[in-house]
Amino acid sequence: MPEPLLALEGVTLTAPDGRLVFEGLDFQLARGARFHLEGGLGTGATALLRLCAGLAAPDRGRVVLDGKVLDLDALDHPFLHAGALGWVPTDGGLAVNLTLLDNVALPLRFALNLSRGEAADQAHRWLDEVGLGRVADQRPRVPADRVSWLASLARAGAKGSRLWLVDRPAGGLDAASIKAARDILGQAAQDPDVTMVTVGDAWMAALGDALKIEDGRLSAGSPK
Amino acid sequence: MSSKGTTHRLLAMPGGVVRGLFAQVGAIAWLLSACLRGLGRLRRERLKVVLEVTRTQIRFTALDALPLCTLAALLIGGITLLQVFGQLSSLGVENYICQILAKLVIRELGPLLVGIVVISRSGTAIATEMASRQLTGEIDALYLNGVDPVQYLLVPRLLGGIISVFALIIYFDTVALLGGFMLAWLRLPLSLAAFLDALVQAIGPRELMATFFKALVFGAIIPLLCTSYGLRVRQSTTEIPQAVTKAAVGSLAILLLAGAFLSVLIYA
Repeated sequence: MPEPLLALEGVTLTAPDGRLVFEGLDFQLARGARFHLEGGLGTGATALLRLCAGLAAPDRGRVVLDGKVLDLDALDHPFLHAGALGWVPTDGGLAVNLTLLDNVALPLRFALNLSRGEAADQAHRWLDEVGLGRVADQRPRVPADRVSWLASLARAGAKGSRLWLVDRPAGGLDAASIKAARDILGQAAQDPDVTMVTVGDAWMAALGDALKIEDGRLSAGSPK
Repeated sequence: MSSKGTTHRLLAMPGGVVRGLFAQVGAIAWLLSACLRGLGRLRRERLKVVLEVTRTQIRFTALDALPLCTLAALLIGGITLLQVFGQLSSLGVENYICQILAKLVIRELGPLLVGIVVISRSGTAIATEMASRQLTGEIDALYLNGVDPVQYLLVPRLLGGIISVFALIIYFDTVALLGGFMLAWLRLPLSLAAFLDALVQAIGPRELMATFFKALVFGAIIPLLCTSYGLRVRQSTTEIPQAVTKAAVGSLAILLLAGAFLSVLIYA
């Protein structure tokens, strides 16, 4: 049996307010799998995504990514160093002191060793794809809006991410942005090596098999 | 409040201070080792990125601090000379003024004042930046996207800090001595050649060593300690000003102790 790309093994997670979000959760993400987590805010979908990214430290259990336990504090995970994770949180997770272009180009230089010029060209191309080419030299707004989310999506695409963890966008998207985002995610999902988990908005539902979270348990969601 | 409880607290205070001091030294050592490991892993394009960020850090820490350093150096050089001149005149040995000024400025005042300037401008900025980045999850987001935060955020601040403090100490010493000379020139029949001659006599290998080691230690301590305080912020924006205040006070305390320790080590 092939090793899953990501595995949550017996994970228990408590929310900051003391509420139990997951207890003894086991979840495996096979290479090339695509899931869409259904449910609105408060269902635990974002918490699951953060667990998968290593951002939420479980009280018990562990998260294994590409055969190695995920511990962000150790700063030694080869999958992350290779820039293979496409992390697209609601707020975009951009550096506010960098322009959108630099936010997309930085990982290309750091993780993929592209030159400054190559990284800038590639970043510009991807920002054009999500409709942000004209504002590439602007910094992200605070609080984050749809622009940050779209730039984050462009960053994940530009890196050629192998695992996409995509949360719902901040502030909602207009029709043109939804089309651009769906095209990018759809294009990535066509690659059999790409694994993807999306959360939230209905337009993402077609990108993977539906999963729903009820009482901290995962089950198959409504059919597409 | 019982007097017994107060006594206990007073007795516990020195222990707390020592514990705190060791905690700071531990934090600096941990971050320094992380930086050195990160520095050793830098290759090709990553190295270029780190050098670009280092250049920006030097601009903020050294270049933008020049006006304040110039003002401080001229005033310190002049005031020190006036104070020392009065004492020496009463003893009739005012000819030694250049040597005393040079030793005072190069050995102690230059590094100390530059350290204070760098803490107040760049140290607080670093602590604020790190705290904000930590609070908004930017540091984790950088790492998740393949950007090593130690290499991208910490190494440039360490390198920039050391280079900037070294350059600022040289600049400060030069301006303070020239400022002192100009004042001395008004009150003493002193030529520039005689002043420079006295300066050469006053500056020995120990002065150069003091400048080098103090620049190295101060330049490393300030960014590392301020980063450490900034990264301790966890939940709320109200923690940021507290972290910045602690970073400034902690850096100043460690800087004074390290300066005194180095002076004793070099000159005793």
